[in-house]
Parts: sequence; structure tokens; C-alpha cells
Amino acid sequence: MREALRRVSIGYLVLAATAVAYLVVYTSRLGRFPTSFDYLSILNTTLPLVFVAIGQSLVVLTGGIDLSVGGMVSVCVAVTATTVSSSVFWLVVVLALGTACGALNGLIVAYGRIAPILTTLATLSIFTGLALRVMPVPGGSIPQEVRLVLTNPATPTGLIWLGLAVVGWLVLRRTRFGMRVYAIGSDEASARAVGVPAAAVKLKVYALSGLCSALAAVFYVSTTTSGDANAGNPFILTSIASVVVGGVAFAGGRGSALGAVAGAVALTLVIDILFFSGIDPLYQSLFQGLFLVVAVLLGTVAALAARRRRQA
Amino acid sequence: MSTRRVLYALGGTVAVLLVGAILHPGFASWSSLRVMLVVASFTGFVAAGQMLVVLVGGIDLSIPWVLNGAAIVLTTSSLGQTSRAPLAIVLALGVGALVGLGNGLGVAWLGVPAVVMTLGMNGVMQGLTLGLSKGLTCASCGSYAPEPLRGLFDGALPAQLFLWAGVGLFMTVLLTLTTFGRRVYAVGVNPRAAFLSGVGVRGVTVALYTLSGVFAALAGIALVAYGGQPSLGLGDPYLFESIAAVVVGGVSILGGRGHYLGVIAGSLTLVAVTTFLQAQRVPEYGRLMIYGLVILAILFAYGREKAHD
Repeated sequence: MREALRRVSIGYLVLAATAVAYLVVYTSRLGRFPTSFDYLSILNTTLPLVFVAIGQSLVVLTGGIDLSVGGMVSVCVAVTATTVSSSVFWLVVVLALGTACGALNGLIVAYGRIAPILTTLATLSIFTGLALRVMPVPGGSIPQEVRLVLTNPATPTGLIWLGLAVVGWLVLRRTRFGMRVYAIGSDEASARAVGVPAAAVKLKVYALSGLCSALAAVFYVSTTTSGDANAGNPFILTSIASVVVGGVAFAGGRGSALGAVAGAVALTLVIDILFFSGIDPLYQSLFQGLFLVVAVLLGTVAALAARRRRQA
Repeated sequence: MSTRRVLYALGGTVAVLLVGAILHPGFASWSSLRVMLVVASFTGFVAAGQMLVVLVGGIDLSIPWVLNGAAIVLTTSSLGQTSRAPLAIVLALGVGALVGLGNGLGVAWLGVPAVVMTLGMNGVMQGLTLGLSKGLTCASCGSYAPEPLRGLFDGALPAQLFLWAGVGLFMTVLLTLTTFGRRVYAVGVNPRAAFLSGVGVRGVTVALYTLSGVFAALAGIALVAYGGQPSLGLGDPYLFESIAAVVVGGVSILGGRGHYLGVIAGSLTLVAVTTFLQAQRVPEYGRLMIYGLVILAILFAYGREKAHD
């Protein structure tokens, strides 16, 4: 448990460091502190990644990985952008669709016994194809009312949803289901031996990842006010990066979705820092890559130091 | 066990080609097969590197931009001149080796998870490639690949196919006939047991990631020779394609099992499926969905893990 706490705190440390760097760079560049508008735009642009990262962290906690988040976000973005302007009821359909896609992954992984990375690689292709079928060319729209409720450009309604996600996770991890997720990630054979229904838990975890992708898609369309069948692609790698920066162990069983949320916000801040420090945008991914590796190395170094201290 | 999987992979290729030939006459003719083999050779190159790291339970996500970077290094350093071609090829392969070495050191010595190390490296290479070539607008970025390289694809039996056969021979000899190969499988099956029996696990790991970088660079050189000029995003399709080819080829994603012969079959299967769907004028969304379903079907046929009970 102490190990879990330590890993999470790495994610928060990275976030705190990037936040300070952001403030310093912004202030020295523009000669004033960031305004509420800046915070609001950070919040609204981060929200989709935050949701995908939560879903991804759940899957990673069980020792799996979900590459199909890209496809699930894409297909949900396509459906949201084409339908919701006719009736808001479609939002429910989108969430159900995302959950169903995730459940399909879960079925194949848990009952078909195919490695998660391969299952979700195949379904990524299927879901992306589905997204292209729904929305062959970019476009679509979202009603203004939905926008005002989800990602209001004037007031931080996004904070409410972020808060709900955080509370949702805090409740979830204390439920029997939450404990089982950690149990499977730590040692699946032992978990099975003590009667954890591993297959059923995995099915739910992947379904939840799908639901998170659907939520991300809704917020994505709400922020960008249009859709694109390839909208989800960038989320595959950024969600994995968020989870890693947030201190969730790739072997499973250690870390927290909150760490992944911190990681997602930190990754978004890094892009802003690069922008305000006047670095050629072409070099952007160079620094993001370095940031990813350095954040993980910091975690490893901290773990080594902690072990040394305990042994001494 | 793993020999059987190679047979399954070959059987899969034959089945796809047969179905294609029945539904689309001329599909399995030599002229069409030759095109498919050439296209599959690019996948075969990247999959060779991917297979090596997968064999020890790793993964290389840096392939796309190592490939792209090497392709751009080749044209900008050769400027299309034949006399500069050898140096340019060495430079491009060197870039691949260097990046692979970095990946290997990060994974083996710093203990960074392979997914993270190679994902970060992919970003680093993407940033460097875009930045140094100024978004492919630099003065020498419009250069073509030197003429001899472009000749790789001429003739009834293109030299590129011999190159692929050479890669196949190299991989097979390396993995089945050398001590190094035995060590690779030993590390893949159980790194701890391998370490305790005296295998330099770290050294093997670094060597494999380095080789993966070299193979990605080789694919970049071949692709730029094929297309004439490099483009940005040239390597992007090869990230997931390389993993798919490795697995369809019967290599266990958990490491320790698999042969390159299977990966050759896997590469050809994937390209045959795509080519067939294009020949049938299936729209892009249908191609993507069927492609995914075919991979799933193959995985269900011989890619399942053992039951837990």
C-alpha cells in the first residue's frame, strides 16, 4: 500500500513541477499571470484526455493495455457529431455504444484468452472502420446547450465533470470491484485461487474503458464543435503516456486513476509550456518524448532511493 | 509447438491467396504476386526487428519515426547522387542502430518499460526529424533516392525480393544456428533462469533493440527507394502492421517462441488481404473492419493463451 502511495505521488510531483514551469514560462513571456481564460482553456482541452486516461489506467491496473481507445473515441466522436444536434437523447446511445465496444474487447480478452495488446490492435482497426462508415468526411456539429453544460467557454463547468470523475474513481476503488481490479493486476493466479472471478472483472474493466472513451468523445466534440473519424488516433499514445507519467505500473496492480489524471493534465501543460517558451512547434514531440522518459526515470530513481533508505 | 505455428501461418497465407484467386481471377498470378511480395517486403523488414524484441517479451514502438528519419537521412545525405549512395546507406542504417542502441540501453540498464522507452524515443525521433528537416522543407529535402537503389524494384524478379530473402536467411541463421539465437530464446522464455545460467541478459536485450533500429532504417531505405522521395508520416502505418505481422506469423507476444519464416508468411498474409480488398473495390471503412476481423480470426485460430485452470 505504501508502494502504491509512493507511485501516485510521483504523478503529482510531475504535475506540480510542470504547473510551476508553466506559470514561470507564461509569466516571463507575457509579463502577467495566466488569466481565468487560460485556466479554462487548459481545463477544456484536457478533459477528453483525462477521461481516456482514466479508462486506460483501469485496464493497465489489471495488467492489460487498450490500444482500441483510439477507435472507440473516433467512432463515438463520429456518432456524437452527426446525431446529437437532432436529439440530445443520442448522448445516451453514444455512451452505450462506447461501453459495448469496450465490452467486446473484454469478452475477447477475458473469455477468448487473446492477449490484450493483440485484441485491441484488431478492434482498433474495426472501430476506426466503423467511424469512417459513420462519418466519411470531417464535419458535424453539437448543440450550443450541450456545449454550455459540458465545456462552457465562459464558466468552468468542466470542473464539475472532472470532480465527478475523481469522486467516481474514489468510490470505485473502495468497492469490491475496485479491490478485485488491484488483486488481478498484482497476481492473477492468486486472485483466481481465492475466488476472484477474474474474467468477469476484466470484462467490466474493458467496458468501463469503452465508457470512458465515449465520455471523452462527447467532451471532444463539445470542445472542438465538430467531429472527425480520425479524432481518436492521438489518444492511443497520449493515454498510455498519461498513465505512465501518472505512476501506474505497467505490470499492473500498482497506481491509481488519479495519477493518470495528473499525468494527462501534465502532458497538456507541457504543450502549453513549449508554446509559450517559443520553441518551434516542429520540435514539440521531441520534448514530449523526453518528458515521458524522464518522468518514468524519476519514478525509478525515487523507487531505488526509497529501497536504499529502507535497507539502511 | 512453434514449428506448428509456422505451418499455421503458412497455411493462412495459402488460404488467403486461394480464396483471393477463386473470387478474383488473376489474383494469384505471378505479376500480382510479385507486387504483393514487394509490398510485403517492407512489412517483412520492420517485422524482423519487431520480432526480435518481441522474442524477449519487449516491444518497439519507435519504428515509425526511426524508419522515417532514416529515409530522410538517406535522401538528404545522398542528394540523389550515385557516388554518395554507399555513404548515405551507412549513415541511414547508423541512425537506426544508434536509436535502437538508445532504446536497448534504456530498457536493459535504466529499467524503463519497453513501451515507455520506445514510445518516448518515437516522439524524440519525430521531433528531431520534423525539426531538423524544417517539416521536410529544407534545401536538400526534395532530393530523390540514388538511381541504383531505385533499380531494386526493376525487372521480372526485383532485387528487393533477394534482399528480403537475405534478411530471412540472416534471421533464420541468427536465431536457430548461433549461440546468440539460443540465448535470445532463453531470455524470452525466462529471463531470470537465463541470467542464472550465465546469459548476459542485458547485452542480448541491447543487441536486439539495436537490430530492430537497423531493420526499421532498412525498411526506410527500401521505402524511399520504392517511392523515390521520402514523405512525412511514411512510417506511421508500420507500427501496428509490424506487430500484426509478427503475431499472425505465429510468434508469441509473451516472448520465447516463433520463427522468422512465420513472420514472412504473416507479412504476406496481411498484404494479400489488403490487396484483395482493394481489388474488390471495398471502400476504406470496409477494408479496415475486415482487416481487423481477419486478424481476430487468425488470433482465435492459433494465438490464444493457455487456459488458466
